[in-house]
Amino acid sequence: MDLVFLLQDVINGVLMGSIYGLVALGLTLIFGVLKVINFAHGSFIMVGMFVGYWIVLFTGLHPYLALVLVVPVMFFFGYAVQHWLIRPIFIAERDVREPITVIIVTTGIWYVLDNLALLLFGPDYRALSPNPLKGEMLELGEIFISIPKFYGFLTTIATCAGLYWFMQKTRTGRAIRAVSLDRDAASMMGINQWKIFNIAFGIGTAVAGIAGVVLTPFYNVYPSVGVPFDVKSFVIVVLGGLGSIPGALLGGVIIGLIESLGPIYMTATWTEAIVYGLFLMVLFFKPSGLFGQKHDW
Amino acid sequence: MSPKQFKQTLLAVLVITAFLLPLAVQSPTYLHILIMLYLYAYMTTSWNLVGGFAGVLPLGHSVFVGIGAYISTALWLQWGISPWLGMLAGGVVAAGVGYLIGKPTLKMRGAYFALSTMAFVEGVRVIVENLDYLGPLKLNGPRGLNIPPADGGFWAFQFSSKEPYYYIILIMLIGVALLTWYISRSKLGYCLQAGGEEPEAAQALGVNVARSKVIAMVMSSFLTAIAGSFLAQLTLFIYPKSVLTLDLSFELAFIALVGGRGYIAGPILGAFLLRPVSEFSRIYFGDSLPGMHLIIYGVILIVVMLYQPRGLAEPFGRLFDSVARKFATKDDDTAQTVGSSDKVKGGA
Repeated sequence: MDLVFLLQDVINGVLMGSIYGLVALGLTLIFGVLKVINFAHGSFIMVGMFVGYWIVLFTGLHPYLALVLVVPVMFFFGYAVQHWLIRPIFIAERDVREPITVIIVTTGIWYVLDNLALLLFGPDYRALSPNPLKGEMLELGEIFISIPKFYGFLTTIATCAGLYWFMQKTRTGRAIRAVSLDRDAASMMGINQWKIFNIAFGIGTAVAGIAGVVLTPFYNVYPSVGVPFDVKSFVIVVLGGLGSIPGALLGGVIIGLIESLGPIYMTATWTEAIVYGLFLMVLFFKPSGLFGQKHDW
Repeated sequence: MSPKQFKQTLLAVLVITAFLLPLAVQSPTYLHILIMLYLYAYMTTSWNLVGGFAGVLPLGHSVFVGIGAYISTALWLQWGISPWLGMLAGGVVAAGVGYLIGKPTLKMRGAYFALSTMAFVEGVRVIVENLDYLGPLKLNGPRGLNIPPADGGFWAFQFSSKEPYYYIILIMLIGVALLTWYISRSKLGYCLQAGGEEPEAAQALGVNVARSKVIAMVMSSFLTAIAGSFLAQLTLFIYPKSVLTLDLSFELAFIALVGGRGYIAGPILGAFLLRPVSEFSRIYFGDSLPGMHLIIYGVILIVVMLYQPRGLAEPFGRLFDSVARKFATKDDDTAQTVGSSDKVKGGA
């Protein structure tokens, strides 16, 4: 095996993996605070991709500039979804420990969003145009790095840094952390847990939007684009530990590496089986994941 | 007539109507829709044993449908073993797989269990799609297995009209409903109920929660696999994306949740409400408005969960009780207790 090719695949795996991490970040954030698996996460990514796609198509701006609009739009979208659709169930099922009904509602949201997109935009695969990032490569000696993926990598780092700062330094961030640790105690300290839930859900959705914008320059946009990302995100967050931000990144990189190195040694379709196999192994032997805390919710 | 007698009479009338229905419904299309409706009611009732009574959310039951379908089909195609026996073989294998999967996963918290069952379906689908043979069993990868027409009739589990399929699945459905009813009143049922609501308290009282959940999972897997064999014989063509999909797994959970999981009638009610919605909206909107039927489906799901998080069995049951009480003789005051007796677990 030529070392250069191997290095090339490793770099590709890490870059793509970091984007997977970004994709899973919103999911893990929402889970960390609400203890709810948001099955509509893939659909949120799809919505983010479509919003970014339309903005670029109509304005011709650089795809990343779409973030200025996508982030607030997605934040309020998530905020509204949580406030109008998920909060009432939380209240109705107050004494139920495991909010299974909520999972079903998020699945309903997934069905509605994906099929609404299908109804409105049709099943076509759309590629971004004008796309200033198309096919751009960064050359490092014999190694080629895809520019859109490299930007995605940088965006992931920036998003994580931003989130870290927000969670550690702002009042709201501290309130979110308090609610995720113990929502009853946080309520008693005067934190409005419903508002924090809304904000956390909004942030998670906004991060899904960022992931959507990052994906758009090198990925086709179509109504069910979120589904593979949905399942992949579940694998990643469980791998890294549900609710853990570094876990999501590491889980993403692991999946990215398996996907880029796997095909060297086996048929590409089998790598998918490896991913699920790994997932099940982690679930059986270390269900709290690599970075997760012991769950006592 | 006491409310209880009234209910029993009504139930008997419903069952007799179901048996006589093919006399009135001659169209194979409508019979097929009814067959699918019963099949989903049957699968969801099997799902309910673990998803309803044990209080977890399995999202991978299509694995067992797939095992049942593939094993009975492979046995028939490769060795000419009747699908009737293949059904049992599939059930036994699925029960074994259900045990292996249930043992470690049923100890997990709800979200982890749901995700692991999901990953299991996806993993099995990928494996089946990538293999032409699993040991001696022919899988034929993504192309699936085609069951050629046979003139063996009953032995071959192939019938020229829809009626035999209708009666087979109807009897299966009644059987599984009776079984669920029996279990809900057995020690296992009470253990599941206690373990689903307050696992720690139940454990402290000496209930082996983990064991009863695994037993429920094994039974549920066995029964679901039988539905898979039936489905294979009904459609005579199976492929990974038809029997090993998350869509099917999710639909079972949806039917149970909309109907009312943990209630014996819940899955049947859910199937009768949701199946027609998906069948008819697909027929009406399928071409003109792609995706519309799933939007309707999703909206129903959200609305029911918002206003009746425990499913529609509860309000329907209340309505039914009040009707039953109206028909009952005045001096009978057992109405109240009878009304709530078919509730097994509060759901969610």
